[in-house]
Amino acid sequence: MMKRLFAGLAATVLAASAAWAADPVKIGYTIAKTGLFSNAAPSQITAYDLWAEQVNADGGLDVAGEKRPVELIQYDDESDPAKAAQLYERLITSDEVDLLLAPWGTPHHLNVAGVVERYGFPMVGNTAASVAIREVAPGNIWFPTSAIPDKIGPELAAMLKEAGVGSAAVIANVLPFAQENLQYLVPALEEAGIEVAMNESYPPDIKDMTPLLTQIKNSGADAVIALSYPADSFLYMGQARELGIDQPYQFLLVGPTIAAFNGAFGPAADGIITLGHWSPQQADWTKAQPFYDAYVAKYEMEPDYLDTALAYMSAEILQQAVAEAGLDHDALRSAIANGSFETINGTIEFDGVENAVTPTAFLQRQAGETHIVWPPAIATAPLKKR
Amino acid sequence: MLETVFSGQLLFAAAVLGVLYAVIGLGLNLVYGTMRLLNIAHGDILMLGAYAAFWWFTLTGLSPLLTLPLVAVAAAGLGIGLYVAFFRRHLASGAHVAVVEARSLLIFFGISVAIQNAMAWAFTSTPRAYRYLDGVWHLGDTAMTGNRIAALAVGVGVLLAMLVFLNRTLFGLEIKALIQHREAARIVGINVDRVQLFAIGLGFAVAGIGGVLLSMTEQITPFMGFPFTIGAFVVIIMGGLGNIRGGIVAGFALAFVEIYLVTLTSANLRSILVYGIFVAVLLIRPQGLLSRARRA
Repeated sequence: MMKRLFAGLAATVLAASAAWAADPVKIGYTIAKTGLFSNAAPSQITAYDLWAEQVNADGGLDVAGEKRPVELIQYDDESDPAKAAQLYERLITSDEVDLLLAPWGTPHHLNVAGVVERYGFPMVGNTAASVAIREVAPGNIWFPTSAIPDKIGPELAAMLKEAGVGSAAVIANVLPFAQENLQYLVPALEEAGIEVAMNESYPPDIKDMTPLLTQIKNSGADAVIALSYPADSFLYMGQARELGIDQPYQFLLVGPTIAAFNGAFGPAADGIITLGHWSPQQADWTKAQPFYDAYVAKYEMEPDYLDTALAYMSAEILQQAVAEAGLDHDALRSAIANGSFETINGTIEFDGVENAVTPTAFLQRQAGETHIVWPPAIATAPLKKR
Repeated sequence: MLETVFSGQLLFAAAVLGVLYAVIGLGLNLVYGTMRLLNIAHGDILMLGAYAAFWWFTLTGLSPLLTLPLVAVAAAGLGIGLYVAFFRRHLASGAHVAVVEARSLLIFFGISVAIQNAMAWAFTSTPRAYRYLDGVWHLGDTAMTGNRIAALAVGVGVLLAMLVFLNRTLFGLEIKALIQHREAARIVGINVDRVQLFAIGLGFAVAGIGGVLLSMTEQITPFMGFPFTIGAFVVIIMGGLGNIRGGIVAGFALAFVEIYLVTLTSANLRSILVYGIFVAVLLIRPQGLLSRARRA
C-alpha cells in the first residue's frame, strides 16, 4: 500500500516538474485598473486569475499536446482605449506574449481590434456589447457575448409581451450602451403592442431619482425598464423601494449581476430582471456550477453573472483552441473561427465575429438565486412577478 | 403635476440631498476659507469614511453610525498630518494666495491619486455596499428609508453643531476671523498656526462624516470621490468661497433646484439646470450667494 502511494506521489511530482520545466506561455492583457471603468475591472481580473490558477493546478496549458505553465502579464490601461491599443502593441512587440486576453468594455475592444488585425494576432474578446462590433474586420477578434442592443430590445419586448405587459415606463442613462439599447427597445415595444407610457433619459451623475420615480409611479405602467448603469441601478433600487414602486416587472440593464448589488439590497432585489446569458442554475452547462463554486471558494463572493462569466468563457475558448492548434497564429485563428467550444455558458461557435449559438437572454433574482428566465430554450425558471 | 410638486416626497428628497451637499461643501469650505488650500482630494476623504463604515459594519455587524466619532478623529488626524507635512511651512512663509492655491492644488492632486490607488490596491475596485436601516417609514403620504432619515438627522446635527461652534465659541470665532482676514487675525493675536491646524482637522472630519452617511445609500469604490469633489466646489463657489453660511445655503439651493426643476422639466436637463444655475450665480453674484463684494 505504502509503496503504491510513494510511486503515485513520485509520478505526480515528476509530471508536475516536467510541466514547470517547460517555458511558460506568456498571456498578456490590459485592464482599467484606474479611471472611469475601474469599478468594472475586478470582475474580469478575477476570472482571468481563477482560470490561470486552475490551468496551472492542472499541470499547465495544453499547447497542442505539451503542457506548459501560464504566466499572465497585465497592464493598467487607465480606462483609456487609446492607451489600451498602445499597450497591446507593446505586449505583442516588446513583451512578445504568446497569447492575448481581452481588455474591458466596448471602446477598448474596438481600439484593440485594429492592433490585433495589424499584427494578425488572434484574440477572443468578451465584454464588448454594441452593434459596432459587427463593423470590425473579422478574422482576429471574436465576441462571445449575445447581449447586443439590437437583439436585447426585441427579446425584452417579446418576454414582456408573453408576460402580458400592456405598457412600460422606460428611463435611460444617457451613456452609450443605454442609449443604444433605447434606440432598439422603443420600436420593439411598440411593435409588440406595448405602450411606452414614459420615455425619459437622465445624466450619469444623477444623485436623486425621486422626480423620475414619481413620474413612473404616476404613469401606471405595467413594467419599468431602466436602461441603467451600476451606480444608477443602486440609486433606482434604493429609491424605488422608498417610493413603493410596485410594478410586477422591473428591468435594470447593468448592475444587478454585481455581488455588491445583492449585498446592498438582499431579498429586496428579488424579482429584479436584468441582462445576462449565464447562470450556474443551467444544469445542461456542466461547467457552470463548478465554475461558480470555485469562484465563490476563491473570492468569497458571487461572480458577476455577465462580465466574469464572459471573461472566463473567453479564456476557456482560447484554452481549447490552443490545445488543438498550438500557438501558431494562423492555426489558432482557424481553430477559433471554425471550432466548437464547451464553456461554462454551454457550446460556443462563431459566425464571423459573433457568437452564433448563445441566445440573448435575461436573468431574474428569485429567492436568492439568479435564474435565466428568457428565452424558454435555456430558461432555468419561469419569469415571476415581483 | 401640482400635487407632485407640493408632495412631501419631493421635499424629503430635496432635504436629504441638500444636507449631503451642504455637509460635503462645509468640509471643503473650512479648509479653503482658512488657508486657501484647494483640496481636490476632498472626495477621497469622503471615500475613506465610506470604506471605514463599510468594513466596520461588515466585520462587526454594528451600526455604521457608531463609526462617526472614530472616522471623524481619524480623518482629522489625516488632515493635520498633511498640514504638518506639506502646508505649515509654506503658509507660514507668507506666500501669495495665488501661489498657495496653485501649490495646494498640485499637492492635493497627488494625494488624491495616491489615496485612490492605495485603496484600489488594498481592497480592489470591486464595488461594495451594505444593508443598514433599509426599512421604509411612512409619514402621511411621504415614504422615507431609514438610512436616508439617519443621513438627514446626522447631517442636520453636524451643520447645526458647526454653526453654533463657529458663532458661539472663541475658537470658532477665531476660525471665522481667519477666514475673514488672515493678516488682521494675526495682528489681533490669534495663533494662526493653531487655528489652521484645527480647521483642517475639522474640515477633514466633516468630510469623513459625509462619507459615512453616503456609504449607507451609495455603492462604495476607491474612485467614488471625484464627483463629490466637483459637487463640493460647485457648492462653495456658489455660496462664496470661504463663506460657511453661504456654502450651506448653496448646498440646499442646489438640491432644491435639482429636485424641483427636474420635476417641472425633465431628468435629462438635470446637469444643464444645475450647472446653468451655477453659472448664472457666478455671473450675477460672482462673490457668491451670501458674500458681499470686496472693493479694491
